[in-house]
Amino acid sequence: MANFAIDAVKATTYDAIVIGSGISGGWAAKELTGKGLRTLVLERGRDVRHITDYPTTMMQPWEFEHRGQLPLEIRKANPIISKCYAFYEGSAQFFVKDAEHPYVQEKPFDWIRGYQVGGKSLMWARQTQRWSQFDFEGPARDGFAVDWPIRYEDLAPWYSYVEKFAGISGNKDGLPQLPDGEFLPPHEWNCVEKYFSQKMKDHYKGSRPIIMGRAAHITKPQPIHLQQGRAQCQHRTICERGCPFGGYFSSNSSTLPWAAKTGKLTLRPHSVVHSIIYDEKKGKATGVRVIDANTKEMMEFYARVIFVNAAALNTNLILLNSTSNRFPNGLGNDSGVLGKYVAFHNYRAGISGDYDGFLDMTTDGKRPNSPYIPRFRNVFKQETDFLRGYAAGFNAGRSSYSDQSGIGADLKTSLLNPKMGGWHVGSHMMGETIPKESNYVALDAGQKDPFGIPQLKISVAYDDNDDKMVKDYLEQMTEMFTVAGFKNIRTRDDKRNPGLDIHEMGGVRMGKDPKTSMLNKWNQLHAVKNVFVTDGASMTSTSTQNPSLTYMAFAARAVDYAVKEMNKKNL
Amino acid sequence: MQRRSALKSMAVAVGGLMALPGWASGWNRTTVQSARFLSAPQDALLADVAETILPATDTPGAKALNVHQFIQKMITDCFEPTAQETLKKGLAAVEEKARATYGKSFAEGDATQRTTLLSGLNASEDPTLKSFYSTVKNLTIRGYMTSEYVMTNLTKFEFAPGRYHGCVPVTASSKTLTEKK
Repeated sequence: MANFAIDAVKATTYDAIVIGSGISGGWAAKELTGKGLRTLVLERGRDVRHITDYPTTMMQPWEFEHRGQLPLEIRKANPIISKCYAFYEGSAQFFVKDAEHPYVQEKPFDWIRGYQVGGKSLMWARQTQRWSQFDFEGPARDGFAVDWPIRYEDLAPWYSYVEKFAGISGNKDGLPQLPDGEFLPPHEWNCVEKYFSQKMKDHYKGSRPIIMGRAAHITKPQPIHLQQGRAQCQHRTICERGCPFGGYFSSNSSTLPWAAKTGKLTLRPHSVVHSIIYDEKKGKATGVRVIDANTKEMMEFYARVIFVNAAALNTNLILLNSTSNRFPNGLGNDSGVLGKYVAFHNYRAGISGDYDGFLDMTTDGKRPNSPYIPRFRNVFKQETDFLRGYAAGFNAGRSSYSDQSGIGADLKTSLLNPKMGGWHVGSHMMGETIPKESNYVALDAGQKDPFGIPQLKISVAYDDNDDKMVKDYLEQMTEMFTVAGFKNIRTRDDKRNPGLDIHEMGGVRMGKDPKTSMLNKWNQLHAVKNVFVTDGASMTSTSTQNPSLTYMAFAARAVDYAVKEMNKKNL
Repeated sequence: MQRRSALKSMAVAVGGLMALPGWASGWNRTTVQSARFLSAPQDALLADVAETILPATDTPGAKALNVHQFIQKMITDCFEPTAQETLKKGLAAVEEKARATYGKSFAEGDATQRTTLLSGLNASEDPTLKSFYSTVKNLTIRGYMTSEYVMTNLTKFEFAPGRYHGCVPVTASSKTLTEKK
């Protein structure tokens, strides 16, 4: 029987384990397998294979039973996820239903999740702006959180590395606050957007540039994309159903199949990670405890190096739940900051209006992207009574309408002969929230999830800085819209809960000092050198840019470092 | 219809996507399928009401495109339960008014009589009848305009345009319908 036990351990031992298969986990898997490591990827949800598991991707509007609308029963049973803009009849299969995975809202928090192979990389909005020197220098300059242990220059080559493989469209705009990348051709502007950009350039003398968003869409396939089996974006704009062309970047269409081709990948869906196993004698992590989601059986897998990419808050949960004599408060948590300094993006405010120019012009086709207003507040120096700033989306469009007041043949004629409406413009803010100790997540020992794991207690809220930022965004955008001659300007603060931005970050922050941070400059736990965190949990501060591209760059960079350290026998 | 056939074959080519895999069964037709709550005569009357709102002309009307079935499906699955009562009460009122006003059933009325009667509901002081009319009218329009026949034959719907041009002159063919999610 001794032989049997040894074989059992051997069969469950890999060179590396990656927890999570989303945007950052997919990259960790690709890089680890690409460097020859036998890698186990653990995913708590079901498998979703590229193309074959996108059940709604080719469905026409009339093929949906409720023409896209979700039944009342489903909406009532899922009040949280129903708030998410991307949750509808064509995409519901990829979102976590409220009741299935409960959590504790110490303060209101709308936690939007996708538990399946590929995670949220299937339904993301695909904006991929690089962070800049102003973002990495932010905490040190403005005196909040802790200083990042890296600067833009450390990450720049890794941004280039992941951009080329993922396929990022964009224009080289030459802005220090939003560095250029390795871009495929940018999406096209429409007349009103182009006009707005030019008008703002003239009026603000270049201090408020408006650019085309950089997005993870293959606008012109390169050999590396064709080798992945991916094709040009078809502009269907139904991305969140899963893209059969691989037109946008997802783990499912890109990194995971690439990792599988090496023959080194083992993907294990239905594997809910309970905790990371720490061996006090060896002074390092030796493996991962997993609960099989189908059988509820607890099992263990072993590896030399572990990457935690469970998505920010679940990464916090796993580390908090990984306790031992050495780490009674969570793995690597000597500083006591694990779970703290959680931050996110503030999407509360928006503005819209009409434009009565360009009535002889319109658009043709659909665009899965829109222009972007990089942060212009407090970038080069502090200039307002709030810290940091906001980026914003902007877009213009023209739609048709028909008079629906009649009845009978007249109504039918009206419906089938729509008239062109005027141009509409709109924008929404993406504000940087300040990481604070009081914004935290913790385990609620009294409440267990269906797998017997303590539920995550989330205590995250806006503060005065956020309120001031909302006010400033609405004032500045109103001014900009007015300067552009837009009419019927309408502003809103929807007072949404944190979380609905789907950009939760922090809790396992990077830093120079192990006394005040969890990870070093290589995304490596200060106290447990063979455990790396390269998802949103690792973020020291949040910037205003969409974070996914940065997670990809961190994952690739950290694997490169980890494998070099393994080869030097340091891990 | 050629474009549609081409899309269908593309769907098959990329993996037979019309069949839902097992894990999606919580979200497919059979499990979301719900009981119809209207009797056969009520359903027939609803079809006539929808047909009055969008009648057959040189193109099919609401009835031929089964818009009444869509209405019942939506009211059953996507509306508060009170909407079912409102629909039934509204249908009963339609039939009653038809007999009281014209001495015959709604179905037997001519187009002018039917139209006048429904327009009367819209102007009614009774909130139930007003709500009945506006709900049925909105769903008739939605069901008709998003039907396969209308989208493929009467309006310019494109599933995968493969392009975006930001500044093109307005022409007669500029009237596009964007896809409802």
